[in-house]
Amino acid sequence: MAGITIDDVTKEFGEGEESIVAVDDVSLDITDGEFVVFVGPSGSGKSTLMRIVAGLETQTAGDVHIGDTLVNQLGPRARDIAMVFQNYALYPNMTVEENMSFGLKMSTEMSDDEIEQKVRSAAEMMDIDMLLDNTPGELSGGQQQRVALGRAIVRDPNVFLMDEPLSNLDAKLRTEMRTEINRLQSELGVTTLYVTHDQTEAMTMGDRLVVLNHGDLQQVGTPLECFYRPANRFVAGFLGSPSMNFFDGTVEGGTLRADGFDYDLTERMQSAVGNRNALALGARPEDIRLHDRANSNHEFEAVVDVVEPMGSISYVYLRAKAQEREETFVVETDGQRPITEGEHVYVEIPDEDVHLFDAETGETIHQRQLDEQAEVALEERLHAVNSE
Amino acid sequence: MATDTVPGSSQRLDKDTRETLVKVVRHAVLLTWSLVVIFPFYWLASMSLKPPGEANALPPDWIFLPTVYNYIQLVQQSEFVTAFANSLLMVSASVVLVLLIGVPAAYVLSRYDIPMERDVLVWILSSRMLPPIAVVLPFFIIFRELNLFDTRIGMVLMYVSINLSLVVWVMKAFFDGIPETLEEAARVDGATRFQGFRKVVLPAAKPGIFSVAIISFIFAWIELLFGLVLTSFKAVPVTLFVYSFIGSRSIEWGMLAAASMAMILPVVVFLIAVNKYLAAGLSFGVVIKE
Repeated sequence: MAGITIDDVTKEFGEGEESIVAVDDVSLDITDGEFVVFVGPSGSGKSTLMRIVAGLETQTAGDVHIGDTLVNQLGPRARDIAMVFQNYALYPNMTVEENMSFGLKMSTEMSDDEIEQKVRSAAEMMDIDMLLDNTPGELSGGQQQRVALGRAIVRDPNVFLMDEPLSNLDAKLRTEMRTEINRLQSELGVTTLYVTHDQTEAMTMGDRLVVLNHGDLQQVGTPLECFYRPANRFVAGFLGSPSMNFFDGTVEGGTLRADGFDYDLTERMQSAVGNRNALALGARPEDIRLHDRANSNHEFEAVVDVVEPMGSISYVYLRAKAQEREETFVVETDGQRPITEGEHVYVEIPDEDVHLFDAETGETIHQRQLDEQAEVALEERLHAVNSE
Repeated sequence: MATDTVPGSSQRLDKDTRETLVKVVRHAVLLTWSLVVIFPFYWLASMSLKPPGEANALPPDWIFLPTVYNYIQLVQQSEFVTAFANSLLMVSASVVLVLLIGVPAAYVLSRYDIPMERDVLVWILSSRMLPPIAVVLPFFIIFRELNLFDTRIGMVLMYVSINLSLVVWVMKAFFDGIPETLEEAARVDGATRFQGFRKVVLPAAKPGIFSVAIISFIFAWIELLFGLVLTSFKAVPVTLFVYSFIGSRSIEWGMLAAASMAMILPVVVFLIAVNKYLAAGLSFGVVIKE
């Protein structure tokens, strides 16, 4: 087993003016046994970065170490890694057993008996021992996924690489396999890189998240850290569903003038803002409150556009009454609260839940407040991660 | 009321009757088609089994005493046996060679970044763009200069040139359909690039390989024009021999039919032998990445 060090890795595709920078100068330390999730929208470079670690792509610049070995010049076969692909990539002409033993036959000197025994125990672990004589074509998607995982764990590699392994499964299976992969990873304790664009997987699976966009590293941190302490507007908007609402506006004497409403900044906010002029105010749907009548100064009147009942909660899409543009923002309310389209409500954005972002750079300039206990816990974890 | 009068009578038939009717029509069509397809074979086969003189009688004798006279005559002609063996040897060798060259070429064109890939592909196809009759003379001159005229090796090369573009194009498309992640998985699993090709991709491409093998075999087996021009005695293919029964004054119908039947045999045998791989289809255990 081994950690992974990524130093100033850049990957460009193509040459000259047509080149595309898929990964832009990314550095990252992954400790032995850690479960790290690469997350970002498509085209963010997350898969490319993983494929560079796998040796399936060669970086344009920078170094990759697995354990203490510099692997820049090593092919995938020399890196002692196992990979799970989005389309499973099971060998169609081999049985499940042959699929699982292929890696051991190729990369080790083990005897056939030894290999068979290892395959058997891995198959039992994945609950696919009754499928060993089948070919991949005869299996369901979920079973193929299990075989793909089994093929990876039987190798007992230094590092697991998983490239969106759950995205071809239906919702129910996906939830099941998420738990399963979590369990496997903590049981085996193998360093794992996991690529996904699904933010639920990102939040629930990793020890740490690596958020990428356009090949740039946006933030590295625990899921909760990234959620509550987003480094910039992109991270804030990417994590959480529905996304955080952003209100663009200009600052005039301690007040943010947004489209359709004014928002008085607190003193703490004002000092964080400094002499910036253009800002974006961010607030998550679950933090915004709706009232039937006005009763504090952080409220403005809005009209309900669409209501999406989800059961225990509803998502209410609103537009400020004085607003000029068509955009709506979304608020989460109690599912039992009666609310209809066209209704007029008062929207409260509580001080303590507000994030502020620089309008130009997107950088966070003010973070929301947290419960005292959560704050302490988060700080501790932050500290622990940084000292590692 | 409008709704009562409009519907056609077919809608009044109950569901069972309609299904039976559809079944009857479908079977009738298929049966007719089968007869149309099989009849020439029957004609040929029956002609080959008739004694000389009766073979081309019009109207044909539907009832006759079958005889293997034509076949015995055929086998006793040593030129026929030689030509048949020649063809079998040359065509088989050409199929092996065209696969050995074409399949790896197609793989490389499919997987690697080849400069001007499109142009290379069209260039390969261009070898088949001219009608054979237009290139037969250049072929003849080149073959004579290179001492390939009337040699088996020359014929094998000629067959390869006929089939290479087909193999490359079909197999390139086939390899394009095999996800690259298969080889990547193999490489991560400890295989070299070549092992990945040989142990993972090639087995997955088997149905495609057998398909192009059969088609190449047939194209070479039925080739007549080049054989006519490029051989004289030693490397004569069986097609030429069959053709020789069509004389300028008379046609030996019985012998012609028997030789034709003999020519059909290897194709049928080959088809039956590899049918299982063709029918196996492409059950990849993968989903195409969106």
